[in-house]
Amino acid sequence: MPRVRLKKRIRKRLKKREPKLIEIYERKFIETLKELRIPLLMLHTAITIGTLGYMLLSGGDFINSFYMTIITIGTIGFGEVVTGSETPYGRIFSSFLALAGIGIFTTSVTVIVRVFFKEDIIALYRAIKMLREIEELEGHYLICGYDKTSAWLAKTLKKRKIEFVVIEEKPEALKYLQEHNIKYFIAEEPHKRSVLISAGIKRARGMVVNLGEDARNIAVIVTARLVRPSKEDFYIYSFASGDGSAQKMEELGANKALVPNKLLATRLSAYIFHTSSAFISDLFDRIAFGEEADIDILEFRIEPGSPLIGKRLRDIDLRKSLKVTVIAIRKPDGYLDVTISGESTVEEGDTLILFGHPKNLRNAQKVLLERAVSLIGGGG
Amino acid sequence: MRYKKILTDFFILMSLTTNISFIVSPSGYELVITVAMNLAATILKIGEGKVLSTEMLASSLVADLHLIPALFLFYLGDQVEAVGLAQGALAANVISVVISIIETVLSAFTEEEE
Repeated sequence: MPRVRLKKRIRKRLKKREPKLIEIYERKFIETLKELRIPLLMLHTAITIGTLGYMLLSGGDFINSFYMTIITIGTIGFGEVVTGSETPYGRIFSSFLALAGIGIFTTSVTVIVRVFFKEDIIALYRAIKMLREIEELEGHYLICGYDKTSAWLAKTLKKRKIEFVVIEEKPEALKYLQEHNIKYFIAEEPHKRSVLISAGIKRARGMVVNLGEDARNIAVIVTARLVRPSKEDFYIYSFASGDGSAQKMEELGANKALVPNKLLATRLSAYIFHTSSAFISDLFDRIAFGEEADIDILEFRIEPGSPLIGKRLRDIDLRKSLKVTVIAIRKPDGYLDVTISGESTVEEGDTLILFGHPKNLRNAQKVLLERAVSLIGGGG
Repeated sequence: MRYKKILTDFFILMSLTTNISFIVSPSGYELVITVAMNLAATILKIGEGKVLSTEMLASSLVADLHLIPALFLFYLGDQVEAVGLAQGALAANVISVVISIIETVLSAFTEEEE
């Protein structure tokens, strides 16, 4: 009985699981290294036979025998340096060693050099190294598909120092990824679960799906949602060809599906409608789209139990203490109150719209979250 | 019959046995054969992806790095040090054999399952 139990336990351990991408790459790398075995073994056999043969001829002179073997099979041929090699037996042995050994030596060296300098082994090594680095990432974004839009997105994320991993299967896109100096990329099909897991989907904050076709976008969204079911913890933004597909994508798991043409038209129409106030319209756009480096907007939700509940904005005085301005309050029912004053009271479920320098906003968020109590104590 | 397994196990065991015989009665030929056997075992383990095989490759490399200096030291006159290094290599050889046995047992279980 215990033997059966042990067998079961071992079987369970050995049960096949889905391999990780890094494991597949490592296996490929090892398979390539396997090619070294036969030439190395051939070379090793030739050297061993040569050394032992000369040792027998010279009565056990290892160092000279080894040297003689190397200069013979390596076609150097400095001369007969081993005692006994000048005898008829020695010359017969040297002739056969040279005949077999030179062929083995040249073939082996050619194969070894080819394996080491083949493009595959270097590319594989780089891919494995990159996947190991990706395993360390946390709170990053995944960009599936790399075209001009993704390139702009990558540029913006880089500017904001947000880490991201690009997944693109087209070999022609890899050239651009290297040209654009993209730090992390995976050259695989993004709809595969193992690929998404290797890109760190379990630790990522969100994902952008831009594969150019609705069907492919949907396949990736669905796969990603199966791994990360919560829309609150993991954001999926996708591109869609029309309103209908956008709606389907949102129903299937995307937090937001954008129709690029519609988005562009909306932005252009905003300029047309506000021709007299083009600067302000542009400024808000730039802030909203993250193009303004010195100003940003942050939403801060007042959670139940927050010490800010019931306080007046004048009492909190975020402008003085944290150098950020409350420009509006969004009520839980969705109403946006833009006529706030110092007398406005913060209520549970409100969302404060904060305006200020990105650095100050980040600091304010941290302080409001972590040190809310002490802030209230000092301010009020 | 697994010819590759026979060949690998043959070299692993040969390096262990010749190493023991060298330690018991030091002879140059035995040391050369030990080094040759050990190097062959190492080469045969290159490119094996299994966890235990990589362990075996590591222990074979350790034995190589003991035996090759031992070989040169032996012929340069320091026989005591050469035997000492060969004893170090023996430990690595024993580990190789143990790992090989474990690997065989585990593969027997998986074969049965298949």
